[in-house]
Amino acid sequence: MNDHIRNFCIIAHIDHGKSTLADRMLQMTGTISEREMTDQVLDSMDLEREKGVTIKASAVRMNYIAKDGKQYELNLIDTPGHVDFNYEVSRALEACEGALLVVDATQGIEAQTLANLYLALESNLVIIPVINKIDLNSARPDEVSDDLTNLLGTPGDQIVRISAKEGLNIDQVLDAIINRIPPPGGQGDEALKALIFDSHYDSYKGVIAYIRVFDGSIKTNSMLRLMATHTELKPVEIGFFGPDLRPVSELFPGDVGYVATGLKTVSECRVGDTITLVSNPANRPMPGYRKVKPMVFAGIYPVDGDDYSDLKDALEKLQLNDASLIYDPETSQALNFGFRCGFLGLFHMEIIQERLEREYDLNIIVTAPSVEYEIVLVSGETVHIDSPARFPGEEQIAEIREPWMKVQIFTPTEFYGTVMELATKRRGIFLSQEYPAPNRVQLSYDIPLSEIIIDFFDDLKSRTKGYASLDYQFADYRPDELVKLEVLVNDDPVDALAAIVHKKDAYHKGQRLVTKLKAIIPRQLFEVAVQASASGRVISRATVKALRKDVLAKCYGGDITRKRKLLEKQKKGKRRMKMVGSVEIPQDAFMAILRLGEE
Amino acid sequence: MLGWMEVHGVYLHFPFCVKRCLYCDFNTTTGTLEYLPEYVNAICQEIDLVASSLSFPLKIHTIYLGGGTPSLLSVYQIDQVLTRMRLSFDLARETEITLEANPGTVSFNYLFGLHQLGVNRLSLGIQSAVPAELTLMGRIHTVEEARQSIQDARMAGFDNFNLDFIYGLPGQTKANWQQSLDFAIENAPEHLSLYALTLDDHTPMARQIADGILKTPDDDMAADFYEMAMDQLAKAGYQQYEISNWATICGDTSRVCMHNMQYWHNQPYLGFGSGSHGYSQGVRTVNVVPLEEYIKRVRSDQKQVFPLSPANEIRNEIGETTRMQEAMMLGLRLTDEGIARSHYILLYQQDYYEIFHKEIDRLLGLGLLEWVEDNQERIRLTRKARLLGNQVFMNFVGDA
Repeated sequence: MNDHIRNFCIIAHIDHGKSTLADRMLQMTGTISEREMTDQVLDSMDLEREKGVTIKASAVRMNYIAKDGKQYELNLIDTPGHVDFNYEVSRALEACEGALLVVDATQGIEAQTLANLYLALESNLVIIPVINKIDLNSARPDEVSDDLTNLLGTPGDQIVRISAKEGLNIDQVLDAIINRIPPPGGQGDEALKALIFDSHYDSYKGVIAYIRVFDGSIKTNSMLRLMATHTELKPVEIGFFGPDLRPVSELFPGDVGYVATGLKTVSECRVGDTITLVSNPANRPMPGYRKVKPMVFAGIYPVDGDDYSDLKDALEKLQLNDASLIYDPETSQALNFGFRCGFLGLFHMEIIQERLEREYDLNIIVTAPSVEYEIVLVSGETVHIDSPARFPGEEQIAEIREPWMKVQIFTPTEFYGTVMELATKRRGIFLSQEYPAPNRVQLSYDIPLSEIIIDFFDDLKSRTKGYASLDYQFADYRPDELVKLEVLVNDDPVDALAAIVHKKDAYHKGQRLVTKLKAIIPRQLFEVAVQASASGRVISRATVKALRKDVLAKCYGGDITRKRKLLEKQKKGKRRMKMVGSVEIPQDAFMAILRLGEE
Repeated sequence: MLGWMEVHGVYLHFPFCVKRCLYCDFNTTTGTLEYLPEYVNAICQEIDLVASSLSFPLKIHTIYLGGGTPSLLSVYQIDQVLTRMRLSFDLARETEITLEANPGTVSFNYLFGLHQLGVNRLSLGIQSAVPAELTLMGRIHTVEEARQSIQDARMAGFDNFNLDFIYGLPGQTKANWQQSLDFAIENAPEHLSLYALTLDDHTPMARQIADGILKTPDDDMAADFYEMAMDQLAKAGYQQYEISNWATICGDTSRVCMHNMQYWHNQPYLGFGSGSHGYSQGVRTVNVVPLEEYIKRVRSDQKQVFPLSPANEIRNEIGETTRMQEAMMLGLRLTDEGIARSHYILLYQQDYYEIFHKEIDRLLGLGLLEWVEDNQERIRLTRKARLLGNQVFMNFVGDA
């Protein structure tokens, strides 16, 4: 009964052309008129377009008349393109029967190509390999095609070669979707099972759940139950994505669409949950649901204390759309009132920071990210602490455990040595190596998360001239010798500058941090002393000398406006700094621990 | 239009140089001397255009010929400009007429000619008395030529002149600076301007520093030089009246630069010539910079409402708030007199201590501002704040 439906997604490494291919398909199927076409329709956030990465999943239904003359309904589910959002990706894949694996003809296979491919294979999807950007001079489609054949066993003639940018061979992609991906199946008379693979908040209709119906059907008047959160609701509206919301009266097995739930927060409607009917519930939910846990934590503070309530409102609004963002009020001696926020990863953190600054026009300080430590106290109690500022005193601690990750690094073989060296320096433990393609090696390690969030990706990229890619998943908690590195400014400890480091790194990191802070903190009207200490011992000390000269000497032929503008600019710069005691500290200082580098 | 208007100053800009100094980012040109006659005609035409947009002759009490190098004009050309000024405006009997001159471009005969024309103040760009520093700056004259120019100026009848110096040069030592200070004091000018080197990124000197050819100037060293100057000039009988300016005061005769005081007092002035700035009737104007464009615009001969000129590229009306902010930013540069509250109230109908109460109290607390007398009538920078002016001024500009 749903032979005309095909549900598929596109998986690709960043910049391999996923969004451009999606755009071309939307154009070819007439889903979007030329007039409505803005570049990369599915990436609706400005940030997504700018970073070239999909942050939230989205879906669209396309109608296509194939060569056999029949009309098909193609549901494209666009998946997030970053390792921070792996769980969301896995749920989106679960909603599909097939996947287009897009590989750049100039770059070849990358770590995320592989990571997403393995996820897709776990969900038993039919894979259609697509080689993109064949129009480029540096394209080497034959080589990439051979690599894909080795990897997937797909014969070369079944690998579609396209240029999404030029609109070349897009029809072959559409035909492959129809011919090779199976229709969804599912039974209309079974108990309702619909998987939530994403959601967003709409101020009129409440949380909009993005769903894939597996069995049964949803009508406008059905009373629904969310199986994991036990929430019951009557939909405000149901429909499909065109790509805007298009209401319908019923959604059938195999359909991809939405339920406007009227719920007020996305946390009541979690990705991975299963929707069923109150009157005739399914026995079991769809497998694979889990509550995603933040891995990276940082403090977010308003520069100006008066903005506290605006910051709170903004976080509340962001959370409406982002169940994986968590925040709790926290107080810092140095930064006063703010929030401790939890993120899926560094990328997620960066996105939130930029959205707060740009969409909500807030002037904020973000403290250096930390992981969540598991601390066994002398008393025998175990506590979880995600902020160096709140570490108990050393005398109370029996053992500190930190999160370790399973890390896969995919790189051309020529960089084998330097990648090894990086991983070792970051306390990595080598596990295995594989050669999935010629001249490419995938190295697997266990590495503490705290080492990854500090500059790891940038270091990896610069060591491998940008060729290596990275993927990681949580492994477990392991004990190690960790100490708190404290920073004192004019003899007062600044809690927001503290960091947890490995004992063997404390000395040189402390020294480098002080040097860095000395360079970052501008000269003030008085002398400022900066110190780093660990285990009650001062490691390093530097002095920022008092400012003596800061004046425009001359008035150029009566140009008063220029003078005033320069002063206004200087005043604005000063406003962006945080007063800690009587010392003005720029935002950069709170991130200094991340950028100790190898000078 | 009212028949009365505050007395104005006039700035005349001559953007011509033989060679550009290596630290200079100001509006000037080289290799353009062929335009000079046309330019002088144009500036005279602009003066006439603006002056005749009033139905009465405007009162003027200072004229400043700046550059560039105005001493590249011939005596005849200076005469042409000053005659135009006298015909167009009502010049006060004691009008201060300053001309900026570079040693090396002036002879005794030339200076004598200027003095005869009524130029009564000379500003000489000496910059340094250390030969190596003159080379470093790309100056076209020697120390000897500077000395000669000063003597010639005296002989020609000038009893009021200024010497310009620059301190804080890359690699400058205390001994170097002492040499320049000694030179300044020996020659006993009536007025001294000492400017801390300020480098725009686009200047050749800034590039030489970026490339590591020259040492980065040391701000602490510059602060030391400034202290040296403050001490020694006070001993030599000079009064510091502005952050970068010193003058002699003999009985009733103060040799402060009247024209610059016009700026610091936030009083009106007209600007003529390419890229010149004016401030009158609450409007700040800036003329177009390119010479040909300037000449073309003036030739269009379009009369405008006073104080506008067809050569204006920018016209900014200064609102009430900005006007009061600028009065603070400028007035506080006057290191001796500061800003009088009664005078401020007279001009702006508001008391600055009421408007900026919070800022002033904070700055008093930081030791950057002080009341001159116990009655809190006059506020000024403290001695230590003279080099930290921006830290004070910025509190009075922009949004509260």
